Amino acid sequence: MESRAQQVTDAAASVDADAAPSAPRLTRPRACVATGVAAGLAAHLGWPVWIVRTAFVVTSLASGAGLLLYVWLWVFTPWAPGEERPTRRAPVAWLLMVAAAISLIAAWATSGRVVESGGNGLEWWLLAVFAGVGLAVASGAWATFIDRPDADRGPRQELAIRIVATALLAITALALVFGPNANWFPVPTFVAALAAVIGIALVYVPTLIASWRDLTAERTKRIREEQRSEIAAHLHDSVLQTLALIQNRAGATSEVARIARAQERELRDWLFAGDAPAESDLGTDLRDFGAALEIDHAVTVDVVVVGESRERASGEMAAAAREAMLNAARHAGGEVSVYVESTPEAVEVFVRDRGPGFALADVPGDRLGVRESIIGRMRRAGGSGEVRQGVGGVGTEVRLRFPAAERVEVGRG
Amino acid sequence: MVEHVRVVIVDDHSIFRSGLKADLDETIEVVGEAHDVESAVAVVTDAAPDVVLLDVHLPGVAVPAGTSGGAEVIRRAAASLRQAQDGAEPSTRFLALSVSDKAEDVVGVIRAGARGYITKGSSGADVSRAVHAVAGGDAVFSPKLAGFVLDAFGAPVGETASASDELDRLSAREQEVMRLIARGYAYKEVAAELFISTKTVETHVSAVLRKLQLSSRHELTAWANARRLL
Repeated sequence: MESRAQQVTDAAASVDADAAPSAPRLTRPRACVATGVAAGLAAHLGWPVWIVRTAFVVTSLASGAGLLLYVWLWVFTPWAPGEERPTRRAPVAWLLMVAAAISLIAAWATSGRVVESGGNGLEWWLLAVFAGVGLAVASGAWATFIDRPDADRGPRQELAIRIVATALLAITALALVFGPNANWFPVPTFVAALAAVIGIALVYVPTLIASWRDLTAERTKRIREEQRSEIAAHLHDSVLQTLALIQNRAGATSEVARIARAQERELRDWLFAGDAPAESDLGTDLRDFGAALEIDHAVTVDVVVVGESRERASGEMAAAAREAMLNAARHAGGEVSVYVESTPEAVEVFVRDRGPGFALADVPGDRLGVRESIIGRMRRAGGSGEVRQGVGGVGTEVRLRFPAAERVEVGRG
Repeated sequence: MVEHVRVVIVDDHSIFRSGLKADLDETIEVVGEAHDVESAVAVVTDAAPDVVLLDVHLPGVAVPAGTSGGAEVIRRAAASLRQAQDGAEPSTRFLALSVSDKAEDVVGVIRAGARGYITKGSSGADVSRAVHAVAGGDAVFSPKLAGFVLDAFGAPVGETASASDELDRLSAREQEVMRLIARGYAYKEVAAELFISTKTVETHVSAVLRKLQLSSRHELTAWANARRLL
């Protein structure tokens, strides 16, 4: 107990060491027992935690003053600064539930005596019933609102608490209605039974609130989606058309056309966002890379992707393909066609330009670009690369091939 | 001397129509313009042009859900042309122009009867070339459309037609041709690469276009929707 208090004090002190050297600011530690009020207050006052706790309990006996202060501090004391979710060591929901059970069982056990004594102590008996109902409801609320985001407890505990609370309150209501008190004190007993039934309803109210919240969020989302698609339709009809016109009037490789094309692509990505694959595959990656190239070089890159792409964007294949595209953009310009085909046997990438062209044999051996970064890289990775002159002597075509067999094996294992 | 081609431009943006008109080369004569489905059908029926350059997205009063204005124009104009010519098959051909990369739209107009598809970003020279190709009875395939066709007909997973009249698959030769087009090859270059004549390439492309129009493969739209390939 002492050592934990010391730790808490240290932690709180170190957080606020520079701000207030005398007394650390009043905050609740994020790793706490139930609410962190006692530990936070202890750290603030520099007292051991057990003294603070005892003080709360003792003052609570004085018409509940301590309890009031506790709740007050609980509401108004912020969490200690930090990112992690607060965690609670004490199973507060279950403790409340046990208290509820004890209270209700006590009421049940004493009901016979109340009847025998002709109504003596009826108010205490009623108080016990109401307290039991209240504690059961509080337990449900705690499980729903406070413990639910906690990874260690969460919805499963919430469900268990609800079931126990429902059972407890239902048995209470039945016991009250069919018990001896109903004959002797019908009105108070009826009120108590009604309280138990209302308690059952209250246990489920948080669920209703939660689903109401979900419903509202869902509706907001739908409205936003509708608005978005409306805007998309409008932009599609106006802005995209204009951008297309700018491109074809300005000539495919001019600066203006390239900017228009980049904008068009960006707009299109935004308009149709959402159905893009979350994980970047080879095709998507090369498409993005092509878009980036268009901004920096006088080039239009057309990327066509065929087949289910399994190749990841981070692989050697992608690196080699990017290098080939960069080469084409730098040395050839104009129109560059990229074709990606994934078959069960292999992934192939073709990068084709219509520039002046070059044959590998003519490239001096010290120029590492093509030889190393494309062909060498593919060979080392277990694939193959080939650079050849385009058909009819126009341009250059780079062909990359990567067999898929082993990757499929890996995927299976 | 390239023969003269009479063209109608259908697009709801007048700025785009005039831009395109200015860009087309002198062998192409624009004989009419239209801005929505209804006016397009009237103008096309009236002028009976060789080629209709058609925007995929067109406003119209009665465009049924699930189809685009462009596809609707093709269907209605073809019907009314046939009627005007006493049931004879009309010689007017349709070339779709689109800013839309959405596969369902493009495949929609192709299946409605368009002979090809090019993007609106294409230069005037490209459009003119495409117009001449379509006027001559050829199909115009962009690399993206070729890529989509390969995907939709299951070429990457090794589906190959065994008989030439099979509608749901591509023959080995057709796949080769489509692959080369997808790689950015012009028809002439495809011909050189495969050691066949340009005419043969055109025949293959037309055959593929026919399959695209007639095939009932559900993947056509499923693929398109799922992956927005075009």
